[in-house]
Formats: sequence, structure tokens, C-alpha cells
Amino acid sequence: MSLRSQLLKGVLEGCILSIIDQQPTYGYELSIRLQEFGLSDVSEGSIYPLLLRLQKEKLIEGTMQKSELGPKRKYYHLTAHGKESLKEFMIQWENIKRPVEKILQKGGETNEL
Amino acid sequence: MNSKDIIKLNNEMRKELTEENEAIYGDMLVYIRLNAKKSEQQTEEVLLELLEHLLQAQKEGKSAKDVFGSDLKQYCEEVIKEIPGEKKSQTLLFGTYLIFQMIGLVATVFGVVNYGIYHLFEIGYEQFTFTLGKGIVVTILGLVLLFIFVAIVLKWMKSSTFKQKKPNKWVEFLQIWLICTAYIALTIFMPFLIPDFGVAIHIPNIFIMLIGILFILLAIILNKRYRITK
Repeated sequence: MSLRSQLLKGVLEGCILSIIDQQPTYGYELSIRLQEFGLSDVSEGSIYPLLLRLQKEKLIEGTMQKSELGPKRKYYHLTAHGKESLKEFMIQWENIKRPVEKILQKGGETNEL
Repeated sequence: MNSKDIIKLNNEMRKELTEENEAIYGDMLVYIRLNAKKSEQQTEEVLLELLEHLLQAQKEGKSAKDVFGSDLKQYCEEVIKEIPGEKKSQTLLFGTYLIFQMIGLVATVFGVVNYGIYHLFEIGYEQFTFTLGKGIVVTILGLVLLFIFVAIVLKWMKSSTFKQKKPNKWVEFLQIWLICTAYIALTIFMPFLIPDFGVAIHIPNIFIMLIGILFILLAIILNKRYRITK
């Protein structure tokens, strides 16, 4: 896997953890939320391999629950380990966000010269 | 929710798909399900999620390719890669069930047929005689053949998914017929190739039949208790 797609997956995993942390969510709802936030480039189906991986790593758990309308759905919630991992991600993101933005801005300026 | 209940729910919900989406989802289902080493529970849970997602997307006028991308096989591979392996205990249980079922069926049929032709036509013997060494080798080879047969059928089924052109039904029938015939012929003729060795054992035919029925009953009880196939 290329470094770039690894980075994207890592960021996407962080976003998924954050959304599930706010309230138990099922797959389709999760993809809608991601798109509402503007991540429309992420193809809808790509969240399912990620959800499987997060379950394997025991960061999230899914339970089959009856929804108000419609059939039983698998709702995900964060485990204690998942909450820790989300915190870690947020710290790392905070640390990396500004430097990266600055570097990219500087890069843009030098390009113009 | 047990994987068998999820399969039932999946069968119900799949009826709501359009013809085009049904064809695509059907292929994905077969392709993902045919990974015998993966956890059945996790496989069925993610298959139901994909179906649910596709049904919602369908209502918005999206197609399966909009949701899962244009390379469906590649997408399925990505999903399969992340499904955890089946628990050892589950695999062992399923293997035991298959072996009991196989031994039960073979012994029952063998016992009944030999008992029948001896008493009706006076052909053969009241007792079945075999040598212990050959008996063990034949049983093990029979199970190995069964295992290879199942593996080949699974592979064949997997290769039949995601075809652009609908394959000829007769060609498919002929292929699977050949595989089955080869398996049955090998299983029947294999015992003739193994030489006799070890202690000779005599078992009355009626007794073989009873042992067969016992194994079938054990398989049925296992299946009821642990929901292996239903």
C-alpha cells in the first residue's frame, strides 16, 4: 500500500472513531455523516473494510439492534480501547495539522516566485 | 443474532433489490461467502451491512457500482482481507460434523445394501471382513478425497462470479458433472487399490448399519445443539 493511501486510511479511521464516539452509528448512517462533513471523495463502500479492521483491533464493537424503522442493524460503539485511540489520534492530529499547513503554504509561496 | 438468522434476514431483504443490483450483489455474496476459513458470523454481518447500504442507495437512484466502485472483485478482496479468521473451535466442530455425516452415510448404505443382497439373493456374506490397516487407510483417503472435492467445487463456484458474459448453462453443467463423476469414481475404486494388511476384523452387516445410524444421529445432535448448518 502506498504511503499516501495509508495516510488517508489513518485519517479516515480517526474520523470514523470520532463520529461513532458521538453516538452509536450504523454503516449507512456513518457514510452519510462523512459525506455531510464534505468527505465526498471517499467512496461509500470503502468504510466497510475499515469498520472490519477497527473491530479486529477491538477499537469498536457492533451489536445487532432493532432500528425504529426498518430491520435489524449493526450499531457500532467505541470500546475503552477505542476511546483511548481516538484521544491519541486527536493529539497527533493537533500536532501535525499546523506544521503541515504551514509547510504547504510556504511551498505555495515559493512556487509563485 | 446468530449467523443463520442473519442469512434468513438477508434472503428476505435481497428481494427488494432491483434486477441489476441483485445480479451484482449476488455475485459479491457468493464471492465473499466462499472463504471457508473466515468467521461465518463476521462474514454474514458485513454482508447484511452491504445489502442494507445498497438498498438505501437504491432508493436514491444509485447503482451498486456507485457504492462499491467499478472493480467489484477488488472491493470484495478488500472486505475479505479484513474479516477475521474462523475460531478454531468452530472449524473443529464443522469438521467433526462433516466427518460424522460422511462416515454415517457410507456405513449405513453399505450395511443396508450388504444385508439386503445377502438375505434376499444370498450373495456375499452375513459378515463384512476387512483388515484393520486397509480399513484405516481407506477411511483417511476417503476423507482426503472429500476435502479435495469440496475445495475444487468452492474454487469452481468462486471462478463463476463477476463474469461479463453470462456463461453457457450447459458448459457449466458439464463442468460440474465431470468434477462430481471424477470424485465418485475415485472414491469407489480407491479401496481396490489398497492392499490388505493388519488384523482381519469381522463385523456383521447389521452392526455396520447400526454404527452408521449412530454416527448420523450424532451429526444431527451436533447440528441441533450448535446450529452448524441451520
